[in-house]
Amino acid sequence: MTPDYKLDAMFELRKFLWSKLVLAGIFDDEEYYSDNIAETIIPIIPVQQAPEMNQFLSGKKHIVYDKIGTSYEDNWMVCCEQILFTIYSTDFAEINEIRNFMMDQFRRMDESAKDINRYSGLSNKFKFYSIFIADVSPTEPSQELQGFLSTDVILEVKYSRMLDSAGRFL
Amino acid sequence: MDSSRLLVQAASSLERLMVGSSKDASIKDSNVAQISAAIYYQANVIAKLTESKQFKDKFKSVIFQQILKDFGNYVDAQARVKPKSLHHMYEWKKAGNEKARLFNLRMIDGEGVSFKISYEYKMSKSFVPAPEGRRRHVFANKASVMEAGMPLIIAPRHSERLVFDSNGQTIFMPKGASVVVKRPGGSGVKNQFTLKYSIFFRSQLVNQSIKASGFQRLFNSSLTKAMRLPASIKKVQYSFSPNTIRSMADSAVTQSFGGAMV
Repeated sequence: MTPDYKLDAMFELRKFLWSKLVLAGIFDDEEYYSDNIAETIIPIIPVQQAPEMNQFLSGKKHIVYDKIGTSYEDNWMVCCEQILFTIYSTDFAEINEIRNFMMDQFRRMDESAKDINRYSGLSNKFKFYSIFIADVSPTEPSQELQGFLSTDVILEVKYSRMLDSAGRFL
Repeated sequence: MDSSRLLVQAASSLERLMVGSSKDASIKDSNVAQISAAIYYQANVIAKLTESKQFKDKFKSVIFQQILKDFGNYVDAQARVKPKSLHHMYEWKKAGNEKARLFNLRMIDGEGVSFKISYEYKMSKSFVPAPEGRRRHVFANKASVMEAGMPLIIAPRHSERLVFDSNGQTIFMPKGASVVVKRPGGSGVKNQFTLKYSIFFRSQLVNQSIKASGFQRLFNSSLTKAMRLPASIKKVQYSFSPNTIRSMADSAVTQSFGGAMV
């Protein structure tokens, strides 16, 4: 069977983060319902899509993410990625709330990884080993989006994809 | 004096014990000679290693190259997410593109295996975006000028007046008149690269980078190999030659670190 190369650990992490943010009542998914496409837009968007989403997300808190880098350890099955999340909101307290939630959720290394592995929405093609907070920046007025404040959270994630006996992606 | 030298000095006093026939030796025993030889050998390996320029250079280079890569990736990602703050550190319209960076890191050698890192700006080589048909310019010091937030004075050099487009209109300046750009690159760029540099080097990010460099592996595996006692020392003898041991240590270090050691 051909492996699904569209799968990406970063997308899995994003799904997990969104579900937890909604569950914690930090985001209300109804606020992000788009009449145009008749579905909810998850306001955790890759930087490449940020310009298209600017209008829809105008004034709404949201998160923009990008991959900083990917590398493999000596054990080539274990992938190490750094992901930059930039949280935008017009409200200082909202940014702090999201930032503190992410720190609480992702700073516990193996335990944080276990949480994702237990998440029912996770693709069965991934296994996470460790997640931790590599850096958190102070909240400051955003230069990119006028009227917004922003803060960065950088996560370092170690994971592997399920492999066949030849070491190829399943 | 570093610890490796002290170790060699201390071990040197054992030289007389290595020579089983020495009259000064109070303990004439093959085991003592062998132990002395082993300590002497390992002390020489350590001393040779820490004094070797090739080893120090390799050690520093492995760490520096990883930091260079990780810092570059970090700034690239920041520039993609925040182009208004960091576009000036790249060629025009290429914010976040590794190949278009206008910054670089530089390693400044320190004592032993220590070193410092600083940054430098690269000259821009691409043309400033301009409407078709206009004379095109290269703003070579784009990165440094915009990062410093230095106001710019643009004056005619080869023509008698400045002509440029602004909000869809062509502006003809009076003869010889100059234009002042108060915030080149926009109000959001001043000191933004310096800020990111300082965040990277004051946070866990640089530590992660050092860990990821694999310097521990390089050091541990090579050192373990070099420290392994040669067969001739493992063999019980009543006499060992310090000169031979020193040369064996030299050779072991050379072999363990890729043959590049002198």
